[in-house]
Amino acid sequence: MLNREEWLPLARKLDWDFSYVSEEEVFPEVISGHPWLPHSEWKDWEESFKTSYREYVDNQYEKDMAVYAVRDAVGRLENVQKLAAPWMNSLKVHAAALPLAEFTGVIGNLRGARFGRDSAWRTMATFGALDEYRHTQIPLLLFHQLVKFDSQFDWAHKFYHTNNWFAIAARHFFDELTLGQNAIEFHIATNFILETGFTNLQFVGLASLARESSDHMFERMVTSIQTDEARHAQIGHPVLETVMKHDPEYVQFLVDKWFWRNWRIFSILTGLSIDYLTALDQRPYSFREFMEEWIIDQFLRTLDEFGLKKPWYWDLVMDELDIYHHMIYASAYSYRATLWFNFVMPGPAERKWLRQKYPKYWDDMNAVWEQISERWRMAGPGAENELSVHGAALPTFCDLCQLPLSAGTPQKNSARIVVHEGGKYIFCSEPCQWIFQREPERYANHKDVVKRVLSGEAPSELPKLLTDYFQLTPETWGKDVYHGNYQWMGSRKTSAA
Amino acid sequence: MPIPVYGFLQGDTVGLVLVLEEHDTFQTVAQKLQDAGSLRVAPREKVQVIYNAQAMDPSSTVAQAGVQALDRIDVISG
Repeated sequence: MLNREEWLPLARKLDWDFSYVSEEEVFPEVISGHPWLPHSEWKDWEESFKTSYREYVDNQYEKDMAVYAVRDAVGRLENVQKLAAPWMNSLKVHAAALPLAEFTGVIGNLRGARFGRDSAWRTMATFGALDEYRHTQIPLLLFHQLVKFDSQFDWAHKFYHTNNWFAIAARHFFDELTLGQNAIEFHIATNFILETGFTNLQFVGLASLARESSDHMFERMVTSIQTDEARHAQIGHPVLETVMKHDPEYVQFLVDKWFWRNWRIFSILTGLSIDYLTALDQRPYSFREFMEEWIIDQFLRTLDEFGLKKPWYWDLVMDELDIYHHMIYASAYSYRATLWFNFVMPGPAERKWLRQKYPKYWDDMNAVWEQISERWRMAGPGAENELSVHGAALPTFCDLCQLPLSAGTPQKNSARIVVHEGGKYIFCSEPCQWIFQREPERYANHKDVVKRVLSGEAPSELPKLLTDYFQLTPETWGKDVYHGNYQWMGSRKTSAA
Repeated sequence: MPIPVYGFLQGDTVGLVLVLEEHDTFQTVAQKLQDAGSLRVAPREKVQVIYNAQAMDPSSTVAQAGVQALDRIDVISG
């Protein structure tokens, strides 16, 4: 009987020479990825954390049991109802964005499990697919049960199946990152950049945010997911290492492209959750502080370790840390009925904190919140006045990231228009334009919400757009948590006042 | 024929689709964008319309300036 140390290398490294077909036919470049190299270049592929199927199943079973135990102890409706209203809405954002995005990770990993160039890579990708399946099922189970309490939690299942503008943006991102990607680009973009660069540490930060908000169910869930991420994220390193030897420029391109695409989605999900959807007394840090402490230093060290440079737009990211998610939040608040979760306005205490954390552009943002407050004062608080304090003109979207044109600063929006093969395309920023122009064939046929409206594919009237296209209802569309009824806002003004 | 353009109001946090008419003057264009963004930006009395990096004469029209669908128009203080 062989012991573990003897049989595991045999089981995880099981490559053979093909006799009836060529290696290029078994692993075509179009789906295995660039650069195409013979197996001799991949044969030393080695994961840093090795496991067997039996060990994997035992570990995952224990982790699942721990999550269920916490759900049974603190996941009842009465526990959830005690959570602060802003945090509850952060949960709804994650409930929608997380589960089916993880499911696309199953598909991406399965591509690696078939088209990865070494058997050890394929073995690890198989475990990665099982991980991502778990990361789909657990949040679906934990979040969707809350639909009894709040119908907006239905978006845990529904989100990616709608044409809601944020779902279009998220699909555009995940379709390229995971569903339609070759094995090499998938593992570099997902494991090395998204997971090693962002989510692995983000989940640690989110868990601490959840703990501060007394949300022990979410804390346990993300902690459990993070332990899987830490293992399968390791697939990206040896893939990247091999490609670096043969085409370092291509790796740098992938880093530059995918850091930006990840940053766009990440800064919204996490930036809004930390700086707006966590109650002020429960915020352990600002989004900027979180990025500096958990993400930036670590990512730069990793790049350095592999001989890679900072993305060419790095200074822009550093500047956007001070403003991008604030512009998105104010814009989304003023179009809250287009989303499936509720919003809070930052009051004087929150704005004082935000000014302290983000002094560079806060004057401009404060002016926006003052103006929105003024509109509430004119309309008066109440659910019936929600749409009086809401945008009516169609907002605009980037032709690459599909997110609102909310980049730059309130003083100077950085949107830019490019003509490509006779068509006009607008981008929120220079990196989005650059990504489009490097591979226009990938993106040029995708229509953003504005082009869908102009072509008649989506309705132009806001109420019909919300219900018929974004698939919201008056019950589920986003509102102000307090319907404008904030003590700090003072009493209603009459128009003559 | 309505002309949809991308409008950017200085002080705002998002670009807006603005539907213009060929006969709209740039004074009207400025008013339309200020109205569209008024939830977030307090209307200003003195503004300029910038199109193709040039300040437009408030009395000239969209047709005279050759504004096309999906062009960018900015309204700034001044």
